[in-house]
Amino acid sequence: MKTIFSFLLSALFCFNVSAQNKSNRYTLSGYVKDSKTGEALLGCNVVIKEMHKGTNTNTYGFYSLTIDSGTYNLLINYIGYKDQLIPVDLNKDQSININLDPTTIETKEVEIKAERADRNVNGTEMGRVQLDVDKIKSLPAFMGEVDILKTIQLLPGVQSAGEGNAGFYVRGGGPDQNLILLDEAVVYNASHLFGFFSVFNSDAVKNMTLTKGGMPAQYGGRLSSVLDISMKDGNDKKLHGSGGIGYIASRLTLEGPIIKNKASFIISARRTFIDLFLRKPFIKAGSAAEGNSYYFYDLNTKLNYTISQKDRLFLSGYFGRDVFNFRSAQTGFKVRIPWGNATTSMRWNHLFSDRLFLNTSLIYSDYKFEFQANQQQFDFRIFSGIRDYTAKVDFNYFPNILHNIKFGGNYIFHRFTPTNAYARSGDVVFDLGKVTRIYAHDAAVYLNDEWDITEKFRVNIGARGTLFAHVGPFTRYVPDPVFPERYTDTIIYDKNKIVKTYTNVEPRFSLRYELNKASSLKASYTQNYQYVHLASVSAATLPTDVWVPSSDRVKPQFATQYALGYFRNIKDNEYETSIEVYYKHMKNQIEYREGAMPDQNLKNNTDNNFVFGKGWSYGTELFLKKAAGKFNGWIGYTLAWTQRKFPEVNGGEQFSPKYDRRHDVSIALTYNRNKRWTFGLVWIYATGDALTLQTERYAIAASPPISFSEGTFSNNFYVLGNYGKRNAFRQKAYHRLDLSATLHGKQKKRWQGEWNFSIFNVYSRMNPYFIYFNVEGNTQDGNLQIQAKQVSLFPIIPSVTYNFKF
Amino acid sequence: MKSLKIIQINKWFLFCVMLLLISCEKDITVDLPKPDPKIVVDGYVEEGEPIYIILTRSEPFFSPITQNSLVNSVEKGATVTVSDGITTEQLMEIDTVVNGVTLRGIYFTPLMRGTFERKYSLNVHTTKGETVTASTYLSQPIPLDSIWFKVQENHDTLGFVWAHLTDPDTLGNCYRWFAKRLGKDDDFIAPFGSSFEDKFINGQSFDFAYNRGSVDNSSAPDDNNIEEGFFKTGDTIVVKFCSVDRSVYEFWRDAETQVSNNGSPFASPSNIKGNVVGGLGLFAGYSAAFDTIIAK
Repeated sequence: MKTIFSFLLSALFCFNVSAQNKSNRYTLSGYVKDSKTGEALLGCNVVIKEMHKGTNTNTYGFYSLTIDSGTYNLLINYIGYKDQLIPVDLNKDQSININLDPTTIETKEVEIKAERADRNVNGTEMGRVQLDVDKIKSLPAFMGEVDILKTIQLLPGVQSAGEGNAGFYVRGGGPDQNLILLDEAVVYNASHLFGFFSVFNSDAVKNMTLTKGGMPAQYGGRLSSVLDISMKDGNDKKLHGSGGIGYIASRLTLEGPIIKNKASFIISARRTFIDLFLRKPFIKAGSAAEGNSYYFYDLNTKLNYTISQKDRLFLSGYFGRDVFNFRSAQTGFKVRIPWGNATTSMRWNHLFSDRLFLNTSLIYSDYKFEFQANQQQFDFRIFSGIRDYTAKVDFNYFPNILHNIKFGGNYIFHRFTPTNAYARSGDVVFDLGKVTRIYAHDAAVYLNDEWDITEKFRVNIGARGTLFAHVGPFTRYVPDPVFPERYTDTIIYDKNKIVKTYTNVEPRFSLRYELNKASSLKASYTQNYQYVHLASVSAATLPTDVWVPSSDRVKPQFATQYALGYFRNIKDNEYETSIEVYYKHMKNQIEYREGAMPDQNLKNNTDNNFVFGKGWSYGTELFLKKAAGKFNGWIGYTLAWTQRKFPEVNGGEQFSPKYDRRHDVSIALTYNRNKRWTFGLVWIYATGDALTLQTERYAIAASPPISFSEGTFSNNFYVLGNYGKRNAFRQKAYHRLDLSATLHGKQKKRWQGEWNFSIFNVYSRMNPYFIYFNVEGNTQDGNLQIQAKQVSLFPIIPSVTYNFKF
Repeated sequence: MKSLKIIQINKWFLFCVMLLLISCEKDITVDLPKPDPKIVVDGYVEEGEPIYIILTRSEPFFSPITQNSLVNSVEKGATVTVSDGITTEQLMEIDTVVNGVTLRGIYFTPLMRGTFERKYSLNVHTTKGETVTASTYLSQPIPLDSIWFKVQENHDTLGFVWAHLTDPDTLGNCYRWFAKRLGKDDDFIAPFGSSFEDKFINGQSFDFAYNRGSVDNSSAPDDNNIEEGFFKTGDTIVVKFCSVDRSVYEFWRDAETQVSNNGSPFASPSNIKGNVVGGLGLFAGYSAAFDTIIAK
């Protein structure tokens, strides 16, 4: 792999030299922005019309093209914006900043130009989808809360973890194998309300890109996908506000210039109010429910300052908390459970030249969970979390029109707080072990070149070198071979002493072969390592789940993915279609040992409770998308298989994980009828989850049943179950139709109101949430019966949301 | 130790989610494979008492449980022996009617009695030729230092039984708690969370409390009104506090977790760890120390 690096480095050096030697070549560069809000537009096509060649703007809206001198027409297009054609007489390096006008509903059908470079066919990207948040707002939303995580689950290859679960599964990978970035900061737990809503307030989010295969080298650290979410920069022209009132939460956003066209801010807040609403008059003082409450809130802020054409600063932050309170008036049992994320990123863009772009970031990310319980003289507290400090440099180098080179590095200092607990009875403090923290250094360097080898062949070739070091202070509990949850010995590592180091190189390769202007073949091969792991005792993702690092016991997860795809656009790019097939092999997968209990994480290393195995998945994804027009949307279908094999799970036999789903269908459509009305439709179908059920039962006396001295026999038994094979049973299929209608207010007014009416689960399908077994009768009367009951969460639920802008 | 049970967190989560949401449920039929019935041992060793086991077979999960099925699931004619390290004795099978219930599949030692500080090894050989084994140790009991009744705040005459325990310095002690109200309860009843270990309390001296347990699906008025879970002033309460093997603690921890987790989407399915090799169930030694108080 080192050879790839040296090859790329020398290639880079050559381009630089050759570019300098060709004095008749000039660079055209600049930023693309929205003309109304000043928001940078990322992923825009910037094309030299005469050459049918071009580039895309980067995350900050920057583009750079180095070509021979001459007279050209520069064509800029972006979905949802009017195309712009700019004549350029290129005889020196030029900087052109472009402002694109958004198309409004009254604009007639967007003219689709045949020469327009279409990224679907033209790019090397596979398994990559970019969504504008404004585009998804007219889709039906659960209880009126637009949720970007729910929307990406409508894409092929991305499976929803189900209702009440914000986790998602990409191409057969687990929920911890998705890297979720908010302005480059890692978000470790992306859900509110145990997963019913995501932490992302759609009013503060501009754009998101999901990469589920062919991951370029600038991303790493997770096996399955990257969800890269960009917050809005804030309008730098005029002060605006927006917000909404819904069933669940209310939102308010303010954005505007600090220095016109130079500096702007955005602040966006959201809070649930169901607790305030219920408190009075529904919950009476002194009733059993008094003192129980639940709420969540989050706050997004961002500031940006354009110092000059060459330098720009961004400061963004997120803070969110969920708080659950429970109090039993009868027993005096009190519980308080707060949890949430906080992130801050500080970024500095600098243009060394019009061909070399640098972004430097300093990032802080924190996730915390706490459980506090109190009953009379007992106090009990569990807490866990993870905190990261990151420094990052990313270069983007555009030597000539044939190359787009990205290179850089990052360093993360992780501080893990595995499950810690504190318990006290009166003055006696129970010994639950010292507060443990785990520290690790996590570093990476990468180099990636997107290179047009010929007219037809484009490759994206790169490599990522990673280093992960678990360092002290650390106490390794050496497990007892007989009772693995107990230990026989401890090994103590001092501060900064290295416990275990891993170094790896991850090759990344993807290729596009253009069959013609409207169709192409693509292939990709990638390898990824993952050094942080989320181990979950349960089948669902919960805020209690704990992140743990690779250690002397836990090897990094490793995946190799192969993918092939055929991409074709129909009717002059009006429709985009693709079919992709993939095979993914995953090593060093992690599960809790069968029968592991949460308290075994205390006075022990969490990873002593793990067992390790492998997994593999394969499948095919069909995607049909209509991106523009009054009527737009997509249809996705996934046919997939995924399996796991662990020597110590399921008797060593392979098994389906919960989310091994054969079929997934999703349809998401919107229809802009006129200026006032927009309609949306979502239909999803998914094969039922795999489930482990008890297949046999037996009875054991609750206490010693016979007293020989007294001659008595008690007939008080526990009926216990014995589980069959892991995940051998399937829930019923999940399907659901949602509809929405949005009534837009008059566009001319300063205050623009908008009513959104949604109907969730239109035909009230009773989708399975879980199955439980009700034991009816009793053993004493000998009429015991076990009945299976399926619990469904949501029948048909209509909702109304009022949104406004000013 | 009830309030310290981490497994209950899952229940609170579920409870909270359920509170906030509208959920619907319906009966469904689940088609499960029919596994081969396994031998189930429910065996006991107590000081001064015969060693006995109830031998049954597991049944398909959804088969109804009637008097008949209880009778049919017992395993008759097995050759059962117990060794206490000194002698080995074959157990006798009882076939008798108590309280109108025909008891079969119960095997006991005619001569051998439980003695502290002995290890008991069980060997069962069925008529079908299967063999299952298990063993348990009857340690010296570790008595509670004291027990007392305390009325719960704002509860007039209702309260819990409190106890003070000094756990020995050696790690690995496990306990199980039973209580009985004289004249009210027929037997000793284990409340939920009855078993605990000394992993977090090793060598410490501390107070703890237990609520009152009830028999499964009890129809007694005080198990179905405000007195549920409470002892009451005037009750004569006998506490049977037992030292047990780690395997006994683990069995009851797992069994109670399974019962409380029933179907919870947040729980992970795992089988109960018993100490019966080749079968299901538990062969348990209970080293009991008794204490009696009158609640006031």
